[in-house]
Amino acid sequence: MSSAVRIAREEWRQWLRSRLAVLSFAVFTILLLVTTVLTTLDVQEARHLRLHQQGQAEEAFYSQPDRHPHRMVHYGHYVFRTPPPLAMFEPGVDSVTGQSLFLEGHRQNSAMFADARAEPRAGGFGPLSPAKLYHLFLPLLIIALGHGVILREREARTLGPLLSQGVTGAHLYRGKLLALGALVGFLSLPALFSSIAATALGESLIASMMLYIANVLYLGIWAALALSVSIATRARGVALGILSAVWVLTVLVVPRVGVTSASATLPTEGKILTDMRMNDDLRKLGDGHNASDPAFAQLRTDLLAQYNVNRVEDLPVNFRGIVASKSETDLTATLNAYAEKRMKRELAQAGHLAAYGLVSPYLAVGGASRHLAGTDLETHHRFLREAETARYEFVQGLNKAHIEKLSYVDDMNRNNGEEGGRRARIDAANWQVLEEFRFTPDSANERISRATSKLTWLVLWFLVLVCFGLISARRLTP
Amino acid sequence: MTAIVVQDLRVSRGGTEVLKGISFSVDPGSVYALLGGNGAGKSTTLLTLLGFLTPDSGSASVLDNDVTQCVSRVRQQIAYLPEAATLYPHLNAYENLEYFLDLAGRKTTQLELDQALDEVGLQLESRSRHMEDYSKGMRQKVAISLAILRETPVLLLDEPTSGLDPVAIDEFNALVRNLAGLGKSILMVTHDVYGACQVANRIGLLRRGQLVGSFDAPAGERIETDRVHATFAERATA
Ligand SMILES: Nc1ncnc2c1ncn2[C@@H]1O[C@H](COP(=O)(O)OP(=O)(O)OP(=O)(O)O)[C@@H](O)[C@H]1O
Ligand SMILES: [Mg+2]
Repeated sequence: MSSAVRIAREEWRQWLRSRLAVLSFAVFTILLLVTTVLTTLDVQEARHLRLHQQGQAEEAFYSQPDRHPHRMVHYGHYVFRTPPPLAMFEPGVDSVTGQSLFLEGHRQNSAMFADARAEPRAGGFGPLSPAKLYHLFLPLLIIALGHGVILREREARTLGPLLSQGVTGAHLYRGKLLALGALVGFLSLPALFSSIAATALGESLIASMMLYIANVLYLGIWAALALSVSIATRARGVALGILSAVWVLTVLVVPRVGVTSASATLPTEGKILTDMRMNDDLRKLGDGHNASDPAFAQLRTDLLAQYNVNRVEDLPVNFRGIVASKSETDLTATLNAYAEKRMKRELAQAGHLAAYGLVSPYLAVGGASRHLAGTDLETHHRFLREAETARYEFVQGLNKAHIEKLSYVDDMNRNNGEEGGRRARIDAANWQVLEEFRFTPDSANERISRATSKLTWLVLWFLVLVCFGLISARRLTP
Repeated sequence: MTAIVVQDLRVSRGGTEVLKGISFSVDPGSVYALLGGNGAGKSTTLLTLLGFLTPDSGSASVLDNDVTQCVSRVRQQIAYLPEAATLYPHLNAYENLEYFLDLAGRKTTQLELDQALDEVGLQLESRSRHMEDYSKGMRQKVAISLAILRETPVLLLDEPTSGLDPVAIDEFNALVRNLAGLGKSILMVTHDVYGACQVANRIGLLRRGQLVGSFDAPAGERIETDRVHATFAERATA
């Protein structure tokens, strides 16, 4: 047996014989298991539920009776974002953004304008997910067990005999790192379980494994840090003080500072003000329900000229439908301009915060996890865009039916008694313009490439800490 | 061949010179007691011999191996018992010995372990108890049995008797004499004038990093305690 394995085994024996170590170990293991199982069940249920609800929403839309097409525009439709399989480890922004969206004519509903600080907030407290447990709390267990690995030998005066009998500082370092590595490996088993379960649900193996490795690497950083501090300090109080300070700084302070600095450097105007300005812009476009709104006078003139007729009643197309369609196009352009601006700003803020990942492995691993799991802000934005496309297409599909399938005269008489109302309906077969909406995660490659820079930082942190530890271990004296 | 030779050794720690040019030698099969007050530089001398501290000047060698040049060869010859050695409190005597010997690359049998523990006089019934329950004297016994099991020709003992009761000190000193009789060369650091005189063939008196006195035992006799004590006290107040 190599000296590293022998030293690591001895470290484990010491932990297993320490009541405090076993107790904290047990508490964290139970917490990990419970959180993993609960989150897995939650996400599984959400996946089924949202898929089911999506089907139901489509069913409800298709089964509407013959109606005036514009009533269907306002009947609206729901789309749902099904959580990706890896959300059972890292729910990411899912917990702070809407996952369903009500689609209707002339409006982009709330999830579209999700809180600008969604991504930064996801870095803070929310429901306890396995990822959060790994990123926030497991470092504490590693600190508790790791800070003493060398200090304990110093206290028991065993360093002298060990080093003087040919065990080098490097041997000790390898042994202790191996012990902590085994601890990390053990603690990461639930993460491995989540990754395997996600793969079984159709997630790409490489993305799942990368997520697992990112978390192992993150805990490895804490292990290497605890070990280095254990070598470099001569008192437990000092070692624990340094390690807790690093935890508080990287896990609590830096993310806080990052969020504040992101909103200070890239301020958002606030939802109320933006909404007011946007509504002003929208009002200028005219009311699409009112064909005689002056805003559409030019459209009317152009159309009459195009078809060479004098009255809208003589047009071969339904002028009210044309107005609705034109209005929808203009409105959507304005809404999208605002939405894109908002999303760009959110991404810029998230990017600003992510840069702090260089000094806080906590931020780096959180970002990498969300990217890899497909629960990041980018994915949420894609959901919003796809939902908007779906909205625009079914509304314009209905408007097209309005233009082509319903005559202007019937349309104008739609409130003229029961018969008038009946004549202003079109066939329910037209509701098929609605396409089925299924939101799927980005490809594994896409997600991995988004996570690459953060993963690189994690690797660098780990390597730097291991090198530092090895160098100080070589100079280890009793 | 002289077991340990120290010549005009100067060692600094934290920017101040702790050993200010000391010279002494330890003959094979003899006990050399380095006697001195707190902070005199006794432990520093041992750490330098083990290669944990680098001398500013002068030289030190163990069995003709220079301590700065052949660190690993030197360490192979030495069993070192540090000040206030507690070993691993969560392990019993056997487990402690096995662990250290494993890492030293020595395979031992239960019989060998028991023989060594017999030799130092650790009661049989204590051997399987965790060492956190041991008295200081019992811990010291296990520590010295480890040194015996290492089978090295040189032993460096840092205040092995401090904190022991008089009976335990006598037992320990007898054990040290016994080991010297078996040919081991022993450098022992202590505050204890009486104990040093009991056990040593030669005593060096260390004061603020300088050897201020040296006493040799006449053949077959002990060093006179009063003489050493007088010098120790005189220098201490000077
Ligand atoms: N790690 C260190 N860094 C700086 N100075 C040190 C260090 N260790 C000891 N010293 C200083 O070196 C001097 C000698 O220390 P040393 O430990 O050799 O004394 P000692 O004779 O063994 O004393 P004691 O009887 O208290 O064990 C002291 O003045 C001490 O303050
Ligand atoms: Mg000392």
